[in-house]
Amino acid sequence: MKELVEFIAKSLVEYPEQVEVKELATANSVIYELHVAKEDMGRVIGKEGRVADAIRTILRVAATRRGKRVILEIV
Amino acid sequence: METKPLPSVESTGRTVEEAVERGLQELGAQRYEVDIEVLTAGSRGMLGFVLEDARVRLTLRYPRPRPPEGALDPGRISQEVLEKLLVGMGIPGRITRQFPAKEGEPVHLDIRGRDLGILIGRRGETLRALQYLTRMITSQRLKQWVGVVVDVDGYKSRREQTLTTLAERMAEQAVLKGEEIPLEPMPPHERRIIHLALRDHPEVTTHSQGEDEDRRVVIIPKKGG
Repeated sequence: MKELVEFIAKSLVEYPEQVEVKELATANSVIYELHVAKEDMGRVIGKEGRVADAIRTILRVAATRRGKRVILEIV
Repeated sequence: METKPLPSVESTGRTVEEAVERGLQELGAQRYEVDIEVLTAGSRGMLGFVLEDARVRLTLRYPRPRPPEGALDPGRISQEVLEKLLVGMGIPGRITRQFPAKEGEPVHLDIRGRDLGILIGRRGETLRALQYLTRMITSQRLKQWVGVVVDVDGYKSRREQTLTTLAERMAEQAVLKGEEIPLEPMPPHERRIIHLALRDHPEVTTHSQGEDEDRRVVIIPKKGG
């Protein structure tokens, strides 16, 4: 799933080399901390948070299949 | 007029069906767009072991504008993006791609496979997210806006049919009872289908009410009807 977050983020931004994803896992949930260049924040959040919402929806499906809960934080 | 040979591909598979599917994938075409010639039907030995692969040749029935070789092709790129998303989600699905009939029309990607309800989600939420991300990523790669429609096993077209039928039935009810009929809450594109279905209805009008998740279409009988 980390690769999925990385793939999506890197594909959306202007500075893919500055994309960084940290994974914090507990027994039944995973937290992803997504860092992008300051100029790229808008691209991964989107108008009214639409991009971030879509990423979270996709991640939730991926996580459910693995029997986990997932949280995406864009920092 | 110059006549160029139409594009065709030869493909193989364990069965004719599989060979055809592969060929269609390679051409980026739908079944009705090609002529299928079975070169070898394939054969199996005892216990179903494949002795010989099935081999088919698919030829496009009419020429289609194709982007030049090596160009950034929105169809191919959007398909690659969607494939990556599905793999990342751990969901196997085959993607068939329909070329836009006219330039400027969206690329149509349909995900086929078993148990793909998970890709549709509640009220189509997951499907919308997939379509949105595929479109955003493809547009970012090509540095231009690209229209992409993502469907799962023809869900959207079936849903449109269902909603149109529902709209007509509820309009009938509204007229019979002489009462307004509120429908279930629906996302924007589904409400649009209802509005369009009843736009020219002689005896009812429609409007949407409620906020966000609760927004729904209400069917109103016209006065004096």
